[in-house]
Amino acid sequence: MVCAWGLRMNAYAEIAVTTNYSFLRGASHPKELIEQAARLGHVAIGIADRNTLAGVVRAYAALQDIKGDKPKLLVGARLVFADGTPDILAYPVDRAAYGRLCRLLSAGKLHAPKGECYLVLDDLLKWQKGLLLVVLPQNNEAQKEPEVNFWNKKLVHEEVSNSPTEHSPRDIRALLQTLRTATPADIWLGVSMLHHGDDQRRLQHWQEVASTIGVPLMATNDVLYHCAERRELHDVVTCIREHITLNEAGQLLEANAERHLKSVGEMVKLFHQAPDAIVETIRFVNRITFSLDQLKYNYPDEPVPKGKTAQQHLHDLAWQGAAWRYGSVIPEKVRTALEKELNLIAKMEIAPYFLTVHDIVSFTKSQNILCQGRGSAANSAVCYALGITAVDPMQIDLLFERFISEERREPPDIDVDFEHERREEVIQNIYQRYGSHRAALAATVICYRPRSAIREAGKVFGLTEDVTANLSSSVWGSWGSALKESQVRQGRLDPANLLVARAVKMANELIGFPRHLSQHVGGFVLTQDRLDECVPIGPATMEDRFFIEWDKDDIDTLRMMKVDVLALGMLTCIRKAFDLIRVHEGKSYDLATVPREDSAVYEMLQRADAIGVFQVESRAQMNMLPRLKPSKFYDLVIEVAIVRPGPIQGDMVHPYLRRRSGIEPVEYPSPAPEHGKEDELFNVLSKTMGVPLFQEQAMKLAIVAAEFTAEEANGLRRAMATFRNVGTIDNFKDKFIGRMVGRGYKQDFAERCFKQIEGFGSYGFPESHAASFAHLVYISAWIKKYHPAAFACALLNSQPMGFYAPAEIVRDAREHDVEVRHVDVNHSAWDNRLEPHPDGMLALRLGFRQVSGFREDWAKTLAACRNNGFDTVNVVARRAKLPKRALIILAEADSFQSIGKDRREILWAVRRIPDDDALPLFAARYVDGQAEEDIEPLPPMPLSEHVLADYQMLRLSLKAHLMFFLRDLFRSEGVLSCAEINKARNGSKAKCAGIVLTRQMPGDSGVVFATLSDEEGVANVVVWPKLVETFRREIMGARLMLVEGKVQRGEGDVVHLVAERIFDRSHELQRLSEDETQMLPAHTSHSHPRNVRTVPKSRDFH
Amino acid sequence: MALWFPRLPTDRLQRREQAQKKPVFEAPPLVLVAKVNNALRLSAVDRKATSLGLTIGQPLANARAMLPELKVVVANDPADLKLLTGIADWCDRFTPFVALDGPRRLLLDVTGASHLFGGEQAMLDHIRSKLQAQGFAARGALAGTAAAARALARYRDGAIIASGEEEQAMRPLPVEALNLDTVTTHALRRAGLKTVGQIATRKRSELVARLGAATLAVLDEALGNAAKPITPRKPPPDYWQEQNFAEPIVTEEVIRTTLNSLTVALAKILEQHGEGARRLEAMFFRADGAVRRIAVEMGAPTRDAAIIGRLFREKLAMLSDPLDPGFGFDLIRLSAGRVERIASEAVDLDASGNEKSEINFLVDRLAARFGSHRILVFRPHDTHIPEEAWVSVPAQHAPPSKLPWRKTRKARDAPRRPLRLFARPEPIDFTAAQHFIWRRARHAVTKCEGPERIAMQWWRHEAPQLARDYFRVEDSEGRRYWLYRQGTPPQWFVHGVFA
Repeated sequence: MVCAWGLRMNAYAEIAVTTNYSFLRGASHPKELIEQAARLGHVAIGIADRNTLAGVVRAYAALQDIKGDKPKLLVGARLVFADGTPDILAYPVDRAAYGRLCRLLSAGKLHAPKGECYLVLDDLLKWQKGLLLVVLPQNNEAQKEPEVNFWNKKLVHEEVSNSPTEHSPRDIRALLQTLRTATPADIWLGVSMLHHGDDQRRLQHWQEVASTIGVPLMATNDVLYHCAERRELHDVVTCIREHITLNEAGQLLEANAERHLKSVGEMVKLFHQAPDAIVETIRFVNRITFSLDQLKYNYPDEPVPKGKTAQQHLHDLAWQGAAWRYGSVIPEKVRTALEKELNLIAKMEIAPYFLTVHDIVSFTKSQNILCQGRGSAANSAVCYALGITAVDPMQIDLLFERFISEERREPPDIDVDFEHERREEVIQNIYQRYGSHRAALAATVICYRPRSAIREAGKVFGLTEDVTANLSSSVWGSWGSALKESQVRQGRLDPANLLVARAVKMANELIGFPRHLSQHVGGFVLTQDRLDECVPIGPATMEDRFFIEWDKDDIDTLRMMKVDVLALGMLTCIRKAFDLIRVHEGKSYDLATVPREDSAVYEMLQRADAIGVFQVESRAQMNMLPRLKPSKFYDLVIEVAIVRPGPIQGDMVHPYLRRRSGIEPVEYPSPAPEHGKEDELFNVLSKTMGVPLFQEQAMKLAIVAAEFTAEEANGLRRAMATFRNVGTIDNFKDKFIGRMVGRGYKQDFAERCFKQIEGFGSYGFPESHAASFAHLVYISAWIKKYHPAAFACALLNSQPMGFYAPAEIVRDAREHDVEVRHVDVNHSAWDNRLEPHPDGMLALRLGFRQVSGFREDWAKTLAACRNNGFDTVNVVARRAKLPKRALIILAEADSFQSIGKDRREILWAVRRIPDDDALPLFAARYVDGQAEEDIEPLPPMPLSEHVLADYQMLRLSLKAHLMFFLRDLFRSEGVLSCAEINKARNGSKAKCAGIVLTRQMPGDSGVVFATLSDEEGVANVVVWPKLVETFRREIMGARLMLVEGKVQRGEGDVVHLVAERIFDRSHELQRLSEDETQMLPAHTSHSHPRNVRTVPKSRDFH
Repeated sequence: MALWFPRLPTDRLQRREQAQKKPVFEAPPLVLVAKVNNALRLSAVDRKATSLGLTIGQPLANARAMLPELKVVVANDPADLKLLTGIADWCDRFTPFVALDGPRRLLLDVTGASHLFGGEQAMLDHIRSKLQAQGFAARGALAGTAAAARALARYRDGAIIASGEEEQAMRPLPVEALNLDTVTTHALRRAGLKTVGQIATRKRSELVARLGAATLAVLDEALGNAAKPITPRKPPPDYWQEQNFAEPIVTEEVIRTTLNSLTVALAKILEQHGEGARRLEAMFFRADGAVRRIAVEMGAPTRDAAIIGRLFREKLAMLSDPLDPGFGFDLIRLSAGRVERIASEAVDLDASGNEKSEINFLVDRLAARFGSHRILVFRPHDTHIPEEAWVSVPAQHAPPSKLPWRKTRKARDAPRRPLRLFARPEPIDFTAAQHFIWRRARHAVTKCEGPERIAMQWWRHEAPQLARDYFRVEDSEGRRYWLYRQGTPPQWFVHGVFA
């Protein structure tokens, strides 16, 4: 090969570069190193992280962004061995050798726990072919000082290691000899001049060693960071790694700041005694032909039948699917869409991808597991026809270009939701079908966020946990870009304090550093060839689960295929509801056959009767429903998308609502006449009455109104998607607003549009995604409307999910005339079930899963030996042989009601049953042997205590609401019930008290929304920011809250109580259990643990 | 008698603050936190925090959300225990039978002791008021049994219940007064038996069958039907010898001979057990109640009466505040603490072993005479900074170093650190012609190696610190120096000389 740069004396390439993907070892991002190498004019840069290739794609991506002369990127790894072998840099010369390096690292990972890699020299020897190897006699990091004895013993030997950080010449010689026998031309000895005092002598020494063995010497600077200033951060990450403070770290830290990328001149000077070592770096670079461009991705071909091409097969399946969806007459619109898509798919040669996803989905359906595609895939008619997505192209205008575009040349991204309880089956099937060497999960790079950064950095500076907890807890929401000084002040620490200031500075630098790799929730990468020759694969925490070293972005960069196998609780719930409906009502439904556009369903939603309904059950959504009044499917799409940070931050919600209700005319913002057509935004915004609501509308705005080029728009899209890289989006701000205003748009509109884009950054919904979700909204609402008992039952059996606790779900079911029956040994199973009701309806029987502390296997045993029923507690005990603890729990939960004795008596009786570990001698007389007892009756259990006990055991009570017992007390204070509040006149003063269900502080608005519940319903409380500070203690601490304020009736009859004064009345709950005894005022410092959790914990924002 | 200190940890901190005379304007509410299941939870709450609604067991995040101004300190159980032990020591004056009862309580058996302090009422009031004056939220009660006293201290502070009247006093108290475990307490409450009185009406067999005999025993004790003797706290010394005097003694002579005889007796006991003590304490109880303690410490466990005797003599001779017998001592006690096994009695033939024990003895003697903080030994300190590569610590307490001394040379190689390091680096002039002028003399550099670049510890200094470049230098006369340069233009220093 012709040498590209020639062997000039003033050329240098740094071969030993450690990035921060050598977790807590490197102190610079790959991007920083690449940019620095380019600035310094290095011929090439070799990224060699510690037993990993995790950072190379980042480096590769960074290289693409560099304008002008780019260094050549060498992809390699620093092999760190578990058997004491010195570190070796390994660089593959070609694609085949790269595959071997991946196999080598995968093998090392397989032998190690998650996140680690154990290599021994033999592993390397096995895969050595084609790898250029640089042996580094110096360890990468200072070793911990050996034990005294060990040290003393070593002193006895004459041939000692020179310093704790260097291997002995004998070891190095032996290693070089061993490696040389296999590939004599591929071995180097790497030396660094790090200002350790004896550098020259060491250089001379290694020169001799190298020349006697016949191995070239190569100069490196063994780089850990891109510039000298990063030494501080390197010290910090070293301390984090070693769990030590800076003051304790001593010689674990580098002695100086020399391990940065140095200029060519500096390197030449350092190696003036060995100029060949500098030249050698260029020879080395020229040997390597491998680049990441050569990773050619192959789609798996399993799903394609013999004798057909993938494209033909997809073609056939798509038209079959269309016939299944539409019958024999396929609408013209669909027909056109399908043809267009199939053509594009053929052109881009991605048919196998669709077939693979179809394959997974078909398996899922065959197992009666519900699934549905989400995200941009819902823009595809082919996906609809294949049954992957549920968005009918007849109902919505598809934007196939959003999904696949020729320009982007990126593979499509299909995300599919599966039932959360059965996703594992799907995953196991994928492994069985493709094998673990061809299927693996993508990685998620876990990065330092403000909270974790300050916590770890604080520890390193010796700040106490309380101080750092204080600092980190003042960071509301964890995605902020940096700890600001105001946040430091909020944490009530003086930012001027040197230590705190340093810790915060370091934490800010640390934010965004990768900390470790974790598995992606469900992103599968599948290949035709061996995946482990493409990228190293390692085991995940879960057994037989593997993940690769690259994350979603890396996979995109390299254009590999990924299928997201996601879990969605609502699908579980819907499937369970369908099952119940089939068993108890004899009707069969699936996602595609639920009757569409039923007006009664929409009426229910308009009333905000939406507890348990997918997506629209949150407080904000329930407020929106009566205002938006959805009456058709597309309204639900908007409903789902509008209550999101994007439209809210962009202040787009109210304009849309005003236009919808006809208060404001529908008009389209337009540029100045000289800059474009007046109606240029009509196409973009006509669906949403001239107000941008969806993510793609915002993108279109950038292209049409702000005249972004395709490249710029792509950059904006990426900045938006990777909201973790906060800061990047700001680059687009001036461009976006400036151009829009320049073209004659109003400043205010432009700013709002951009704010919206920023909002989408956090959690944006594209239209297609909203449509997929809207489909589930409709289906869950339909079930709730027509099968309320099955709906409540399925919801409870799918917990934990959704927004509401079981108590609220049960209350809602009862309000919809579903009889709910208590847990009972004679009737309940583990799951909640449906039972026939005399009037032909179905009643909901609570199951043992609602009883806290009860176990599924106990429930099964109990059900199995129930026969004709239990008539006494002793029969239960004898037949089911449950441990005493189980019987006590059952009695506590009042589940012997059908036996007909008082809960208290039963509980007292159960406690008398001998313990499980009774001696075998007495086993015979187990329960029966107990003589009848003649005891006084216990004091009767008041209802209020029954209710409390129910709450303790079940988190709900069917007997009464806690507030019922306090009603007289509060009535005497003039407190209204929640129902009365909801009927009260607008503007009237009122008091309301109730159990706190939720507290929320949306965004950083400072407003707190609380929901109070009592025996008649729930009331919504709003606390304005000013009051939040005054009543902070009450707001945050109260379980039972009394609020004084003004009733406010909003659009759609939404009622809020706007707080003026707030009281914490939690102590009133004590009255409920301490009824008949006159308590002495006890000075208790320990509240009873049972009492502490009497009231279910509210769902809060912190 | 039961004494209860419900806020011991916060009292501890607040007393310390008061002792330091820190001005307290509107002190913020104070809580202590401990990690429970990986979450910080409140483990103690002061009066103010209680009144603002904070409770023990609450998550810290939660408490902070309620009261951002909250002052939070990490719990320190050993310190609390030490404080409680200290209070117990103080209580020793009322009765020898003082027991620690859980982390927040003391039990005192005052049978036959109260008359010395003006009767039960006067004694209880005295103790409570003294403790309260000390800054403790102390509550106390007196009853015939420990269980009853414990319950009353909590629910009826200051109560004195005569023996036999416990049942009447206990009946109205809630079941929690029995101090049973939470499961049992819950079981009783759930059965509707919410007061001690209600429980007492149930059949004994009924209770035993359900709650176990132990519960019944507690009940019996609380009702005064059975008494369990209190176990006085384990005397802190492992071994001790004491001598009582019917007539209080005053003369130094007697004191000294008594001490000697106690030493011999104690040494014998130690020998029988094959053990030696590292701390010996002599307690002189004065007839008027004051106690004087004098302790000597040893670097290694010792049981040699002669050595111990000599150490005490040195210590007594050096006392700045002489032993004032006042009306005389009526009891002298010598106790051995920090007892450890002594491996073998055989004389160590290895001379170095003897040398070592002699050094130890020298250290002990010097420490007894000058105070242990004055006798120091060097230990290596892990750092790159040359002048900080060691620390000096009190020789008696110096643990064997975990770190070895850093090796400054390779085998058969010149040392990397000078034999003599100057306390203060001395500035020199370095001329272009490879000469430097130090202490007015001119030195021609003939050999030189370096640089060894050492960067300073950036986190310790406000301003950025310059790194040093060290060179090992030999002059024309063969003398070797350790020089460094710093900054641009470089300033040069001699930091040390090699042999």
